[in-house]
Amino acid sequence: MGDAIIVENLIKKYGDFEAVKGVSFRVKQGEIFAFLGPNGAGKTTTVHVLTTLLKPTSGRAIVAGHDVVKEPMEVRKRIGIVFQDTSLDRELTAWENMYIHGRIYGLKGSELKDKIERLLKFVELWEFKDKPVKTFSGGMQRRLEIARSLLHEPEVLFLDEPTIGLDPQTRAHIWDYIQAMKEEHNMTIFLTTHYMDEAEQLADRIAIIDHGKIIAEGTAEELKKLVGNDVIYLKLDTPEELKCLQGEFIRGCKVLPDGRVALEVDNAAEALPRLFELANERGIKIIEVTYHRPTLNDVFLHLTGREIRDESPENPMAAFMRMRMRR
Amino acid sequence: MDALTTMIYRQIKRFTRARSRVVGMIINPLIWLVFFGLGWSRVFDNPMARMVFGGVDYLTFLAPGIFAMTVFNMSFMGGVSVIWDKQFGFLKELLVAPASRKAGILGRMIGDSLVTLAQGAIILALTYPLAESLRLSGFIPALGIGFLLSMAFLGFGVSVALKMESMEGFQMVVMVIMLPLTFLSGAMYPIDTMPDWMKVLAYINPLTYAVDGARHFLIGEHVAKFALVTDIGVLALLAFLLVGIAMIEFEKATIG
Repeated sequence: MGDAIIVENLIKKYGDFEAVKGVSFRVKQGEIFAFLGPNGAGKTTTVHVLTTLLKPTSGRAIVAGHDVVKEPMEVRKRIGIVFQDTSLDRELTAWENMYIHGRIYGLKGSELKDKIERLLKFVELWEFKDKPVKTFSGGMQRRLEIARSLLHEPEVLFLDEPTIGLDPQTRAHIWDYIQAMKEEHNMTIFLTTHYMDEAEQLADRIAIIDHGKIIAEGTAEELKKLVGNDVIYLKLDTPEELKCLQGEFIRGCKVLPDGRVALEVDNAAEALPRLFELANERGIKIIEVTYHRPTLNDVFLHLTGREIRDESPENPMAAFMRMRMRR
Repeated sequence: MDALTTMIYRQIKRFTRARSRVVGMIINPLIWLVFFGLGWSRVFDNPMARMVFGGVDYLTFLAPGIFAMTVFNMSFMGGVSVIWDKQFGFLKELLVAPASRKAGILGRMIGDSLVTLAQGAIILALTYPLAESLRLSGFIPALGIGFLLSMAFLGFGVSVALKMESMEGFQMVVMVIMLPLTFLSGAMYPIDTMPDWMKVLAYINPLTYAVDGARHFLIGEHVAKFALVTDIGVLALLAFLLVGIAMIEFEKATIG
């Protein structure tokens, strides 16, 4: 498997302002890769460079085997994108939106019509195909945009904040589609988000980006390791001196002032059954168990001293339009 | 080729969907025609005034002007609306598609032009019963003049929109350009009676040649100021240049 996206020392400046300050990363074929960071971190700018909509100030980017600056047409043939701000024709129906997109990508006739039907069914919008998009909810519009981006069967799909402004149920629903897309089409997906849970749920690998720089990269598990191990807290019914448990899976053990025992382990979920066995063998009675796993938020906090919050959007007009368009 | 025809299809589809907007667009020139035109036509209903207006009644004199004004207003607005479409709309799709950007934006302009002409045709048709001596045979050729005019201003509007960073400048540009160009086109009063400095402005105003060209076809040579060849030549050259510039600008367009 080769790399679907190769980015080397990418820099994008707007006048004096450096939006992207030299990022490098690779995305493997068939992988979901997430750019996680707060608003204004340079996520959308990076997406726009990778989708040939912006020229980088310097650096190199290869998408689906072609250089975004030297061969933009070759790149455009092989990518699909769902923009952060909707780009649907609100006056037109779902079907017409699909049809126009397909025609622009050179599809036609029964091939195009079959694909539209299959994809509208995939995102469960087939029964609404003749309704104007302006009557759609935010979630329905997003699903339509996802269906539209799949029409020309892109090798690499870019999703810029795919669930921004949507309610939790709708978000979970969109995630299901993204998972299904990856599994059914073995598609490479590059996703930007400022939602921790979204990155964790969907991405095979995550790059945390802040102020135009990648500050950490890896799987969710690897990133959490940066902060520390999982911690299991136990309340035991044993004399004081026996409290600290020994086991090859236990990385550290500490008795807390309140009498509880804190065990450091690599993976709390896997460690717990073994811990119960161990306690059973030694005849130790466990009264209470809780555990804490570091979250990506802890990671971001650890690396930057700040939390990823839903800060004020980069462009107030865009936020206003989102409100207007995604009722 | 697909991008061109698809964009024409899209613009026409959108137009047929936005009926309320269409009605709103036609109301404005209708107000000019009825409340302005009909009102003044009584004042000018005497031989002296008719001489000033080339020997025809005022509404006949005004009709080609209202037609050209309608086409001009809607084309320019349509062109400038690309800024909206670029930021929040479908043009991003076009920019990221592996299709010819030049063909795509040309398709959009042709589509908008056809839509504009449909509205101009409605206004013109409504003028016939009011004016005394408009030629029926001039209807189709006048639409031809309208097409050149609308392509020129669509091209201009698109180029302006692509250069504008935000919506804030939008109202300004519209106000500064649209009304003076309308008054300085000879649409409402003859150019010959204007003060000399104003004449100069009228001569460099593209709308002047559209109004004059439409008068050639709708009324006759005797009310026109320039030769028909001049009118068509100026408009065609302008349309060619401005559409060309818009296509080149769009080819280079980025978002961000």
